[in-house]
Amino acid sequence: MADQNKSEPPASPRQAGGELIIPVLAFGFAVYYLTTIWNSPWTAQVNAFLVGSILIACIAVFAVRIARDRLAGTIGFGFADLVAPKSILGKRLIFAGLTLGYIIVLEFVGFSLATFGFIYASILLLHGRRRWLVDAGASLLAAVAGYTLFIAAFGTRLPSGPIEALLKPFLP
Amino acid sequence: MSVDAAFFADLFVHTVSMWWVIIPSIFLGLIVGAIPGFSAANTIIVLLPFTLVMDVEVGLIFMVALYCSSRMGAGIPAILVNIPGTAGAAATPLDGYPMARQGRGQQALAISFVSSTLGGLLTTVIALAAMPILARVGFYMHSVEMVVVMLFGISLIASIAARDTLKGLVAGVFGLMIGSIGADHVYATPRGTMGFLELYDGIPLIPALVGLFAISEAFLVIEGESILSEHGRDRVRTAGWAETFEGVRITLQRWWHVTWTSLIGLVIGVIPGAGAAIASFVAYQQSRAFSRTPELYGTGHPEGLIAPESANNGVTSGTLIPLLVIGIPGGATAAIMLVVLQYQGVNVGPRLFIEHPELGYGVFMAMFVTYLLMAFTILPLSRYMSRVTLVSTAYMSPIVIAFTLVGSFVPRDYLFDMYLAFAFGVLGYIARKTGYHVAAILIGVILGPLMEQYMLRALKMSDGDMMVLFSSNIGNVLWVLLVITIAAPSALQQRRARRAARTVFEEGEG
Repeated sequence: MADQNKSEPPASPRQAGGELIIPVLAFGFAVYYLTTIWNSPWTAQVNAFLVGSILIACIAVFAVRIARDRLAGTIGFGFADLVAPKSILGKRLIFAGLTLGYIIVLEFVGFSLATFGFIYASILLLHGRRRWLVDAGASLLAAVAGYTLFIAAFGTRLPSGPIEALLKPFLP
Repeated sequence: MSVDAAFFADLFVHTVSMWWVIIPSIFLGLIVGAIPGFSAANTIIVLLPFTLVMDVEVGLIFMVALYCSSRMGAGIPAILVNIPGTAGAAATPLDGYPMARQGRGQQALAISFVSSTLGGLLTTVIALAAMPILARVGFYMHSVEMVVVMLFGISLIASIAARDTLKGLVAGVFGLMIGSIGADHVYATPRGTMGFLELYDGIPLIPALVGLFAISEAFLVIEGESILSEHGRDRVRTAGWAETFEGVRITLQRWWHVTWTSLIGLVIGVIPGAGAAIASFVAYQQSRAFSRTPELYGTGHPEGLIAPESANNGVTSGTLIPLLVIGIPGGATAAIMLVVLQYQGVNVGPRLFIEHPELGYGVFMAMFVTYLLMAFTILPLSRYMSRVTLVSTAYMSPIVIAFTLVGSFVPRDYLFDMYLAFAFGVLGYIARKTGYHVAAILIGVILGPLMEQYMLRALKMSDGDMMVLFSSNIGNVLWVLLVITIAAPSALQQRRARRAARTVFEEGEG
């Protein structure tokens, strides 16, 4: 039995660094929020003081729990849980970057082109280049469906680009 | 014109004969309900030029059918891809999406459709019968009572975060704090806006919804080829009509659950400004609190899906009561209906039912017939809709992000709202990966501003005296009910544990 225990690797502590992000953000935001209402009338303050104090109290209790677990050696401050699985971390970061890029580019090239470009680039990233032509077709279909539904049917005022300008005369 | 059984029979037959308006409106409603940002109210506004030139009766039937079906449509993406189409469906994915991930998407859709239909039909009949009484509910529910109703919804934060209450509270109260962003309700002092003018009106709901649910989910699911497990994929591929019938059977078996949760929706719907989001959160919370199996909620439990779906469809008839009986619209869609009615020279209020009973009662009959027709037109589609879950995440994630970002842009036409949705997406991703419940954050964002609004009104009346919150009889009854609701689950659990221990002991003795 003792030998068996010796052969088992020691259990690594749970990495709780990621769990601290939300409380830290919440604390920072609560403090910032309170500074914005410090000299305001009581009607602007009452909710902030009530909710803010509950939030800070909850975070304080959470901090005590984390400190206790850290002292007991059951947790570490790594970010393994947040980034797992590491094998797709790069893909995930690029995908998030593509999403942000889509919003930025949308304003300049219009909805249809930006949507086609974003969907196609994302599929190539996530699916590989095995079926690049089929994927291009699927992306084109999605962009056309988006244009038909959002711009032609519902008349939403999405940013216009060359495609929208070209098709505008055909809209009712 | 006498209002008797023959009148209602004639009205029913006449409304059914308008199927050519109702059925296309149902499908349009399903589409606009399913895309975040495209609510029934937006669509009716877009189509207002057509609605105004229609015959008043046809226009009303079109609007009612669109309104009811959009409510049902909002539940479809909530179940299949974890994206509630509207805030009213924000509680639907709590149990609907886990069912879809287990390969029970078809069953979940059937449960959602049947509970929505039954909830809608039942509350329409009750609304017709008890209209004068229900119309008075709005008079008794003042800001003090509404503060307690909001607390019913907010207490759901603790329920859904049962695995780690502290994390749930941090997420939920953080959501409340985010919901407090914007100018204050009395002096318009900007609070927590970080200098963005776009946030002076508060945090827009759709970008928060899109970010916390859709974008964070899209970032998360790319870890696998599909959102389904291998077993789930086999189940969806081989599923026949039996899955739909099973969903229907499960819902009909829980008819009492449908009844009381839809009544919660009806009563909350009658209160002007309350709405489907509050109703579905309160119904879910109550359903869980008094369930024999509260631990199953959040894991794909049918009752956790029935409660919000019945409640948010119960709201539809409730919202129209104050509009038609006392001329106060209970929500955005009802307000647009008021515009159409007034444009056509029809005055709403008690006289509507005397001067134009075919219109006053006709609205509810249109709702009744819409729900009946929805049962036959939408239910068979559940088998085909559920196949969406088979689409590879490599295709689904980018398409979901592109289309839902558009949804976050539509309500205000601000590109800023797309950036906001992205920021909420990152927040939602961190929350999901580190064990915080995104629904808890969303409950805070939705109910926070409403809670503040009602609380401020109450405090203004009492010059800042907090005791005003305990000054009304109805409010005090609601406080007691709230305490019972919060205390009941643990009391019931202890009682069950004692009973189970006694049974084991008696069996041992035997």
